[in-house]
Amino acid sequence: MRTLKATGIALLTGVGLSLNAAHADPPMDDDDAPSAELREHHRHHQHGGITQFIEMSLDTLGEDEAKRPQVEKIQGELHACMEPMEESEKAVLLTIADGVAAGAVDGAKVNAGIAQLTAAGGGIHDCVWKSLNELHAVLSPVERASLVDKVEAHWAVWKHVNHEAAPGGREKGGRLAELARELGLTPAQLDKMAPALKTALVSLEGKFDPEPVRASVGAFGKAFISDAFDAQPVTSNTTSALTTHGTQRMALFYETLTPLLTPEQRVTLASHLRQHASHHPAVSAP
Amino acid sequence: MTRMFATLLGALALSAFTACWPVGVAGDVVVDEGYPPAAYIATSTPVYYGGYPNYWYGGRWYSRYGGGWHAYREEPGYLHDYRYRAAPARQYYGRGSVGVVYGRRHR
Repeated sequence: MRTLKATGIALLTGVGLSLNAAHADPPMDDDDAPSAELREHHRHHQHGGITQFIEMSLDTLGEDEAKRPQVEKIQGELHACMEPMEESEKAVLLTIADGVAAGAVDGAKVNAGIAQLTAAGGGIHDCVWKSLNELHAVLSPVERASLVDKVEAHWAVWKHVNHEAAPGGREKGGRLAELARELGLTPAQLDKMAPALKTALVSLEGKFDPEPVRASVGAFGKAFISDAFDAQPVTSNTTSALTTHGTQRMALFYETLTPLLTPEQRVTLASHLRQHASHHPAVSAP
Repeated sequence: MTRMFATLLGALALSAFTACWPVGVAGDVVVDEGYPPAAYIATSTPVYYGGYPNYWYGGRWYSRYGGGWHAYREEPGYLHDYRYRAAPARQYYGRGSVGVVYGRRHR
């Protein structure tokens, strides 16, 4: 009986320790540099919708080494399809940067640029579907599943930073907190900026519905992990919705904050926006 | 009395174990916290092992399949050796002309 009791206590203690080991992981911290940079990327680059998520997912797919040349060729083709959008995006970013440097962003000019960016996305589907079919043929089932995980992850990050995050929110890793770190904003500035953003971004409320995009990402994932895949009927028409909303939100953010920055901060921010504009130098498909 | 106690104890231990650690495939357990967040998945290169992409995060290997995240009870030798050979790669998307490099160059 004594032995049994001891065994029982040991067993329960063992289970307890094991459970503790299973659940005592470090806090889920996604605030490391690559994660923060990804959030910043998705706040500033809206040039391809789900195609952009797929293209970026190929950066870290970790596919079989022998397939790398083929995958890089396909990635280049996807990138080439997005080039017209990138050029329009670059123009919008430079317009905002010029406005920030000058102390006031020209909203009308920015909106005209956003309209061009949105229009540029219209032809992306016809451009990418053959490459996506080729990608499906090149990848193994496990690599396809991995790609789908990554596309969903990009969508989750995009949705959070461009839709779910509260306008003017001061949470760690949020847009305003990141800008505060970037420019050395003072508490007094932040106290003015947070409510100003909340007011300014009210105009975007209800204008973006994430549901069609969620459905498109889901449909793509479901189709891509199956043995037979045809991108033509699957890839979506959600590019313009993602592009328009993300860019409008970014533009309003900077339009609202520019008058509240010091001249030195404006110079720094304008420089950073120009760096974003020069991100993704044009490449041609091999 | 002894048999009853043993049976009770066994049932208790088993139920505690299975309730918290639903078993997926051999050697791993379903987890509902601690797994890699979306930004980590999007910026990390997985290691393919056991038929799944595995991510090294927070000191453990995780994989997602069957609608849930799984972690290993014990680190498989292959994955252990892998991370000692080469740290799992992360991708940087900094502003500037080149995103980065440490997996593959982002264009």
